Amino acid sequence: MWQFPVSDQVPQISGNRQACGNSFDKQQRTFIQMRTVLKVVDNSGAKKVMCIQALKGKKGARLGDTIIASVKEAMPNGKVKKGKVVYGVVVRAAMQRGRCDGSEVKFDDNAVVLVDKQGQPIGTRVFGPVPHELRQKKHVKILTLAEHIA
Amino acid sequence: MRLEKCWFCSSTVYPGHGIQFVRNDAKIFHFCRSKCHKNFKMKRNPRKVKWTKAYRRLHGKDMTQDSTFEFERKRNRPERYDRNLAENTLKAIKKIDKIRSDRASDHIKNRLKTGKVQRQKEARKQLELGIHLVKAPLALAQDSSLCLPKIKDNVSQAQTEENQPMEE
Repeated sequence: MWQFPVSDQVPQISGNRQACGNSFDKQQRTFIQMRTVLKVVDNSGAKKVMCIQALKGKKGARLGDTIIASVKEAMPNGKVKKGKVVYGVVVRAAMQRGRCDGSEVKFDDNAVVLVDKQGQPIGTRVFGPVPHELRQKKHVKILTLAEHIA
Repeated sequence: MRLEKCWFCSSTVYPGHGIQFVRNDAKIFHFCRSKCHKNFKMKRNPRKVKWTKAYRRLHGKDMTQDSTFEFERKRNRPERYDRNLAENTLKAIKKIDKIRSDRASDHIKNRLKTGKVQRQKEARKQLELGIHLVKAPLALAQDSSLCLPKIKDNVSQAQTEENQPMEE
């Protein structure tokens, strides 16, 4: 069972570790920057958000960073509505992130969990695997809600 | 720190090497190098790719069942550190490794034995047919000491080896 990427982001600008891309239209493994569409994996009501700013990082956000995003697609009755500007924490990134033991992790898609300004998640559930890099970034609440920690 | 097995080729992934891919159903794939990773992205089945351990085990090229494999089971319970235990474990690892590799090479040797016997038989036959290339038939008839020895299974191998280098 192979899941094809849901988001349609193809950023070409910033540095890509894999110089020659695959011939199949797999995900481009780059940073999460302005106009990147991410999947929302909590039950806050939003479905898709578009990144409008990556806090920290000149080239863009990576796994575990916070972003400011605009809700592009939302469930009809949810806590957030379409067009709202929200903060989010990137919990899955297609771009590989180095771990402290030297290995690298990467996920299948780009996903985000919506948080408020203080960093507390808006939703009450988180779907899919999350990395334990969040612990270092002090997003412990998201880790407790997660169903699987990668 | 944990030594993982590459999902594609089954070699050990040491810390600092390789990429870990987490799929959305929370299945984690470890890859030892980009070769395996790229093959995975191409959706190749490791059981069909000749150089992987999975293929070799499936097609009986490598040893599949042995008691030494039991020692390498994955254990999720961390042990309390005990110096004696650690020392003994390290010694045991070395020994078990040696035993396992010996058994594996024996397995391969046994597998190749039938081919070896077959090849020797064929070589003998070829020598018989082509003895005129080695020594002129006239010389053979005159000097009977140069004639081919009687073919007996164990003894003849040493004697045919004398004739074989000449042919090569």
